[in-house]
Amino acid sequence: MTSEIKPAPGEARAGGPSIADTFASDAIAPPAPLLESAYEFMGDGDIAASRYTSEAFFRREMRDMWARAWQWACREEHLPDVGDTYVYDIGPYSVIVVRSGQDRIEAFHNVCTHRGTRLLDSEGSGYAHGFTCPFHGWSWALDGSIETIPGAWDFPHATEADHALRPVQCERWGGFVFINLDPDAAPLRESLDVLPDHFTHFPLERRRIRLHVQKRLPANWKAAQEAFMEAYHNFETHNSPNGGNTQYDVFGRFVTRFIHNIGTYSPESLADYPGEKWRRPTLTEEEILAGLAVIGVEPRELAAGETARSVAAQQLREKLGESLGVDLSDVSECLMLDSIEYHLFPNMFLFPGVNVPMVYRFRPDGEDVDNCIFDLLLMELLPEGAMHPDPPDPVFLDVEDSYTQVEELSWLAPVYDEDTGNLDLQQRGLKGQGKAGITLGNYQEARIRRMHLTLDDFLAIAAQSTDD
Amino acid sequence: MTDCYQRIAAAGELPAGKILCITVGDREILLCHTAEGYFAVDNQCSHAAARLSEGKLKGHRILCPLHGAAFDVRDGCALSRPASQPIATYALRVQDDGIFIRLPPDEG
Repeated sequence: MTSEIKPAPGEARAGGPSIADTFASDAIAPPAPLLESAYEFMGDGDIAASRYTSEAFFRREMRDMWARAWQWACREEHLPDVGDTYVYDIGPYSVIVVRSGQDRIEAFHNVCTHRGTRLLDSEGSGYAHGFTCPFHGWSWALDGSIETIPGAWDFPHATEADHALRPVQCERWGGFVFINLDPDAAPLRESLDVLPDHFTHFPLERRRIRLHVQKRLPANWKAAQEAFMEAYHNFETHNSPNGGNTQYDVFGRFVTRFIHNIGTYSPESLADYPGEKWRRPTLTEEEILAGLAVIGVEPRELAAGETARSVAAQQLREKLGESLGVDLSDVSECLMLDSIEYHLFPNMFLFPGVNVPMVYRFRPDGEDVDNCIFDLLLMELLPEGAMHPDPPDPVFLDVEDSYTQVEELSWLAPVYDEDTGNLDLQQRGLKGQGKAGITLGNYQEARIRRMHLTLDDFLAIAAQSTDD
Repeated sequence: MTDCYQRIAAAGELPAGKILCITVGDREILLCHTAEGYFAVDNQCSHAAARLSEGKLKGHRILCPLHGAAFDVRDGCALSRPASQPIATYALRVQDDGIFIRLPPDEG
């Protein structure tokens, strides 16, 4: 009797070429960070469903994680001039980010120090010479120092020091402005893991916001973002043959990544999938190329030695290079085509690719455990020397709205409708399931587990300090 | 141009994304050049009477410098507190090389 040696947990992979194998056959090698891989098994226990549905857990998250974690509030190009503001809301908290000086961006709690009124009403970009409370008219300079207390004779006890706007930690990276509500939080750099090193190769400062779509989604913020952390769902949700060979990396407590090749697939990766779709018969290279028409590639016959991937990448180098005004002739197939997705804890996704150039943000919708807000930005390359144009105002979509209402999303619109179409079913299922937890794949869903482990770190630190 | 329209600026005088305050009689008009074209509104915030020309145009929103109230320059409606009342808007035409607005009959 022969016994098959089973791989250790987390070591098994789908059949067919790996991402590294695909890169090895590409004409232009990707930048070094994209050749790295980093994975280790982190356990295979179920994740409690109550983490997505419990009001009590949500309150702990809000108090112990959201109020302590670095999170992206806006882009620097939202604040080009002194006086430009951006209000960022998270749960019950609201933060004013302001360019208070030519080279200075600061953040403050969006709260009057007198009786607690919000100074600026709604989230988004604004402009002001200072801040004035609409209730009694107390006012502050852009640097948060108090300027006016009407009827000051009645407030001899209100000192300038006590009544400056309460500062919020604020730092910048990659053209993004981050805030942290915890005055004792460690610097942002400590939460970025490999990002500063990796993104020197694809600087996000040199991108413009082409489109910003903000949509309400009917699911807990974690369930919603987890729908975007793996390509395992591609077969069923998107009716797509490629996803099984995606590479998943865990670079630290805060940063994970996947790289998902486009313009190639392996029938071997589908070996144990039901039916014979895309296995018998397999797709020809010409059929794969034809499938890329949705992303702007022109189908044509392939000459000997040509692959769908090489032809698609070259077409996009020329087409996008011309439309963006950027020389893309030396850009790798990977950056031209692939879905390369970094996740920064707790809720930010960054795509360094050229044709797949998004940034995502997921956060609770106010204090609602069952709903969240998904910000989707298309971040287009800026030509060398070009200034950042004014960013567009967000397009708002409600739960029932389709992404196809946003014409500029083009081929991505139906994909996002598919991605978000399962969320209501999942959130309702999580509430009523006869099983206490969700089960994750060891490799393909490792990023989800990493996110939960880091969330647990925040909750544990808070519990520890309460015990102390 | 009909009698009730009055020329307030030369077309091309105001770059896109910019605003211009124009005094017509005792009225201050704010001309706004957005990506969707030109719009003319009252220069006075409906909340605390600040001059909107000292604020900033972002997209189709004019932002009051005093309390950050926003108005949609296309229809004058208040988009954020503390403003709740709209600001007046003026019918506008671009013709030949000029920008014309229609003032109330007693001021035209």
